[in-house]
Formats: sequence, structure tokens, C-alpha cells
Amino acid sequence: MTLRFQRLLLILLSLLFLLSAILLILFNSKKNIVFFYTPSELLENNVELNKTIRIGAFVQKGSFKKIADRTYEFNLSDKKNFIKVMYTGFLPDLFREEQGAVIEGILISKKLIKASTVYAKHDENYMPNSIKKSLELNEYWQRKY
Amino acid sequence: MVSIIGFLFLCLSIITNLFVVFANIINFFKLSFNKIIFISRFATIFILLSFLTLIFAYIISDFSNYNVFQNSHSSKPILYKISGAWGNHEGSMLMWITIMSIYSFIFSFVKKIDESLKFKTIFFQSILFILFSFYLVFVSNPFLANNVNVSDGLGLNPVLQDPALAIHPPALYLGYVGYSLIFSFAIAGIVEKKINNEWFRVLKNWSLFCWSMLTLGIGLGCYWAYYELGWGGWWFWDPVENVSLMPWIAGLALVHSLFISKGEQVLTKWIVFLSILCFSLSIFGTFLVRSGILTSVHSFASDPSRGLFILLIFFLITGFGLTIFLLKMPEDKKSIKLLLLNKTSSLIINNIIMIIACLTILLGTIYPIIIEVLTDTRISVGGPYFNSTVLPIMLPGFLLMSIAPSLSWQTNKLKNYKYYSLVLISLSVLIVFISIFTYLNPWLFIGLFLGSWIILASLIAIIFIEKKSFKLKFLKNINAYIAHIGVGILIIGITFSSLLKEENDFSLNVGEEISFANSIILFEEITVESKNNFQKLRGKFIIKKNDINFAQIEAGKNYYHVSKTITTEAGIYHDWFKDIYILLGGQENEKWSIKIYNNPLVSLIWIGIFIMVISGLLGVTKK
Repeated sequence: MTLRFQRLLLILLSLLFLLSAILLILFNSKKNIVFFYTPSELLENNVELNKTIRIGAFVQKGSFKKIADRTYEFNLSDKKNFIKVMYTGFLPDLFREEQGAVIEGILISKKLIKASTVYAKHDENYMPNSIKKSLELNEYWQRKY
Repeated sequence: MVSIIGFLFLCLSIITNLFVVFANIINFFKLSFNKIIFISRFATIFILLSFLTLIFAYIISDFSNYNVFQNSHSSKPILYKISGAWGNHEGSMLMWITIMSIYSFIFSFVKKIDESLKFKTIFFQSILFILFSFYLVFVSNPFLANNVNVSDGLGLNPVLQDPALAIHPPALYLGYVGYSLIFSFAIAGIVEKKINNEWFRVLKNWSLFCWSMLTLGIGLGCYWAYYELGWGGWWFWDPVENVSLMPWIAGLALVHSLFISKGEQVLTKWIVFLSILCFSLSIFGTFLVRSGILTSVHSFASDPSRGLFILLIFFLITGFGLTIFLLKMPEDKKSIKLLLLNKTSSLIINNIIMIIACLTILLGTIYPIIIEVLTDTRISVGGPYFNSTVLPIMLPGFLLMSIAPSLSWQTNKLKNYKYYSLVLISLSVLIVFISIFTYLNPWLFIGLFLGSWIILASLIAIIFIEKKSFKLKFLKNINAYIAHIGVGILIIGITFSSLLKEENDFSLNVGEEISFANSIILFEEITVESKNNFQKLRGKFIIKKNDINFAQIEAGKNYYHVSKTITTEAGIYHDWFKDIYILLGGQENEKWSIKIYNNPLVSLIWIGIFIMVISGLLGVTKK
């Protein structure tokens, strides 16, 4: 192999890496982005069912129910609208009614979501800014010192 | 009073640095290089005194200092009073510039460097210091006085009340801030046109040291997150983690590029560019975290003006660095010997892969910001994106690193290739064999194969080195292989712990037993204990195997009165092969909800990182 040919191969190899990286990014950014809504925004927008989304609002007073062992049901509301949440698993330490909470889950219908993760105020320091902002918007974010 | 003294020392340090800068531009006192360097050392002493003053204010709980009032409490243990000094935004920025100054202090003692080069480096370092100290004075001053008379402070964020706070930030900053020196030295090299063997050697040593410290800092952070956050994992692709990974990868590329050019003086442009990039990425990360644009576990009280200021510093420094770079572009003295598969070409491919990986992480991290600014839609890019982009991108690099150190510089031949192929074939057969008899998913297969292949290939290389000994000098010689073995171990650890993780929720009464991961776990008792500044709730669990009690785990929560927050304290049983990780949840009708993880081979992650840090430090001392 001549030196020229070897270098050409190297350049082609690098371009191949770059191309596959770009394809990977394009392919995955479509699949792995999670959109964030408030209950009202969810109603306004046409959100596809069976998609993973995040919802941030507060836990409606009197809506929290224990269905079975570690299975719960509650409403997330932003004063105007609400959505029912079903969740099986570990609730955060500071999950309370009338407290801000964010859930990530799969939308089953316009009014029901099956949550896979629940973030409550416990994670105050660990919340994406976008989520915090929407809680602030609805006056359910209080920084406590 | 203490605050005033601290602020005074800070100002003295700034003035000294300003003097150093002006003495370089217009030298009206006709001072020699050595004298100016001597004066610049005082700046370090002043800033160190200033930093110690802040620590002192924390130790004596001087609440007339606003920063102490905001972040400390008199009932805190002494360790957290000291480390609390850098557990907040202002204090940590003071630590940032202190470390920056310490770097130039130590650098000023390095011998065998051209005097003008040393002088220019310290000059640029002083400019950087001044920029960051202005930031400190104007938007995040840790020495502000508290106007209100208070009896006690507001307390430190409970999550931070952990011994790891004492070492994680300093180690991390030794890495991040160390790149400021790399930046200054690289720029000084091209301005003074003193890019010679000395320059390469010094740059290699310092960048290897910074990289090792950054690795240590990130590793400690992972370990901390693992036991403190109580999420069962150690890496979450959180923005803060991502921004630390970017300079880490760029620094890794720099260290490897310097390895190619050792003695050859090639790739100079690329090396200077990487030196600029490392520090730029460090500042950019600081900007993303401190501005509050991205919030995460490290959220400091955020303030838009701070973000703007750091962004300004970022553009100034990066812009300046790149302009000088473009104007005084260094020329290579020799051309590089690039073949299809020699050491040089594999190192270059490795650099390309690392830069692509770095860009992919950058894209995923800032994508939500771009989308929010452009379309006002809020999105989050989570772990799955990074896992399915960054990891595949890195794969060819991992494959290459197994044999790269043994490749030749001059030819396409691999020494002892027969042994390599023999081991490779038997390893493949063995792993295929294992995968037939057990359940191995593709990723597990790839991870196991890559990890063990990297370890084996590096071992073969070590075996074939003539003149083996157990002296430190020999270890220094093979430090690259040792580091790669560390990576192999890390890969196996990551693969197993993330893919074979078992996770289970239980509801248990006290005294109840459950079986989990081949052992029986007994929930023995619940205890409540009052400590100085918090209340401790602990569940005691006993792990039994074949009716023998072989371990005891305490998992629970702490309730901190001052900030009225609860922290989860995971109970972890460490073993060479697995970690049993227990979280205690809430109580309902006498039953406690409990989450148990079985994380296999997590210990390999810490061992791998430790090996990488040690071999990096060995490389620094190598001649």
C-alpha cells in the first residue's frame, strides 16, 4: 500500500465515524427527548398518546388514594385543569398533597397518565429549570430557607 | 472584622496581580523577570490568606459575614464548617481563584524552563486571575457584611453535609482550574515562539496532572452521588456531570496528542487548540452550572448577572485564545508519520473519536436551552440519548486502545501479533461460549469482551517488555498500559452494574424476612437517634446466606432541623462482586416501604478510576 492510499483510508475511516455519529445523534434525538407540559398545556396541545412526557403541577388536595400495595393514584392540577396519575413504586420522602411534583410517564389518555417516576419537593435542588419555571408560573414553587 | 481582613487580602492579591500585568506591559521600574516573578508569588500568599480567613470565619461561625450566615450554622460539626466554606457559590469561586494562583505559584518554581516563557505564562495567568477576581468582587463576593444582627446561620444544604465535600470540590477544581495554566502556558509558547522539546515536556506533565485530578474529582463525585442521592446509580447524565465530562475528554485527547508529539514536535496546532479548548470548556461548564440555566444537584443560588459575567469571561478568554492562536499559528518542524495502523494514526483516530464524543455531549446538554430559546417548548434530554449516542461513538476507540500502545511508530506492524491474535481468538471463543450458556444481551457481550480484551492486550504488552522489575521506574514506564487496564476494569464494572442491576420494592414489617439476590434479608429493627444538628432514623437489616449472618446494613433518613429537610441515607453493603443497596421509604400501617438494589461489580468502577488516577500521576513524574 502506498502512503497516499493509507492516508486516504484513514480519512475515509474518520469520515465514517463522523457520519455514524451524526446518524446516531439524529436518530436518538428524535427518540429520546422528553417533552414537558403543565396539565393545561397538555389539553391545549395535541400530544400523541403512548409517549413519554413530563408533567409538572401540584398534587390536588384530597385526590391522593392508595389503590394497592405501593400503587397510588392522585391528580396533578395547575388550578385550571388536572390530570389523573397512576403510579406504582416508591414515593419520594416529601411527596404531599398541595405540594409541587413532577412526574414522568406514558400518556394513556388525555386525562390519564401512567407514571414511571415521581419527583417531589425532596428533589428541589435537582429539578430541571424548565420544570421549576412552570411550577413558579403556577405559584407552586416556594423556595424555603 | 474577619470579613474585612479577608476582603483586604483579596484586594492586595488583585493589586499585586495588576502590578505583575502592568510591569510586563510598561516596565517603568525596570524590574527583571525574576523580580516580577518573585512579586507575583506574594499574590498567591495574599489570596491564600484571604481564603483561610473565610475558612476561619466559618470555623468561628462569624455570622456578621453574609456568606457564613447564609450557608452555615453554629451546631454543624467542625468538618462541615471548614468544608462548608467552599460548599456555596461565593466560597467555591474564591477557592477557584485561590487554586488558580497556587498553580502559577508552583509553576514559578519549575526549573529548566526558558525565562521569558515562564514569565509570559505567569503574566497570562495573572490576567486570568484578575478577570475571575473581578467576577468575585462584583457579583459573588464572599466577604459581604450581614447588616442584620443574627444569632445563628441558615445552615448548609444537608445533602452537602458529608465528608466527601471536603475533597470532591478541591480535587475537581485542581482539574478544572489547572487547565488555566495549560491555557496560559500554551498561549505563552506561541506568543514567545518557544515551542520546543521543553515546552512539550512541561505541557505534558501539567496536563497529565490536571487530567488525573479531574478524574479523581469526577470519580469522587460519582461515588458521592451513589451513596448520597439514593437513586441506586452513580452516573445520571446530569448537566453538571456532562459539563465535567467535556473538559475531561478534551484533556484526555490533549494528553494523548502530547504523547504523539513527544520528542517529535508535531501536531503543535492541534495541541495548542486543545489546550485552549480544555480551559474554555471548564469555564463554559461553570457558566452553565452557575448561571442557573441548567439546574441540577449542584444548583447554587443562581443569579442571571452572574451567568452573564461568566459568559463574558468565557467569550473574552476563548476569543483571546483563539485570536492569538490564529495570528501566531505555530508551524510543525517535522511532518507526522501517518500510516494506516501505526501509533500515530491510532492516536489521531482516538483524538477524532474523543472530539466527536465531546461534541455529542455538548449538543445533548445545550439542546434543551436552544429549543427553549427558539420555540419556548420545554424538553429534557435524558440518559437514554447519551447512552445510545456517546457509547457507540466511543466503541471503536475502546477497541483501538487495546493494542494502540504496542503499535510501532514507523511501520504498520504489531510486535508479537501472534500472541495477540491467539488471546483474541480464545477470548472470543470463551465469551461466545459463556453467552450460549447464560443470558447475555448484546451490550453485556460487547462490554465484557471489550473490557477483558483491553486488560489482556495491555497485560501481553507488559509481559513482552524486556527488563521487568518491580521498581517505581518500571511502573512509570508502563503507566500507559496500567491506565488502559484501569479503563478495561472500569468498562466491565460499568457494563455489569448498569445492565445486571436488580431493583425491587418491598413492604415490610419490622422482623420480617425476604429473599433477594440469593440471600435472605432480615429487617431487624428501627432506631431513632438524635445527633447534634439532625435526627437519625435508621432501619437495621441483616443479610443472611446459608443461615449465617454475614453483613449488616443500616439504611434510613436524616432530618435536619435547621433547613427542615430530609436526606436519604442509603445503606450499602460492599463486596468485591456486588453491592447490596437499601433505601428506607415511608411508613404506612406499620409497614415500611423498602427498596433494594443489587448492583453487581460496582467495586470495579472505583478500582478502575483509582488505577487511572494513579497511573496518570505516575506519568507526571516520568522523565
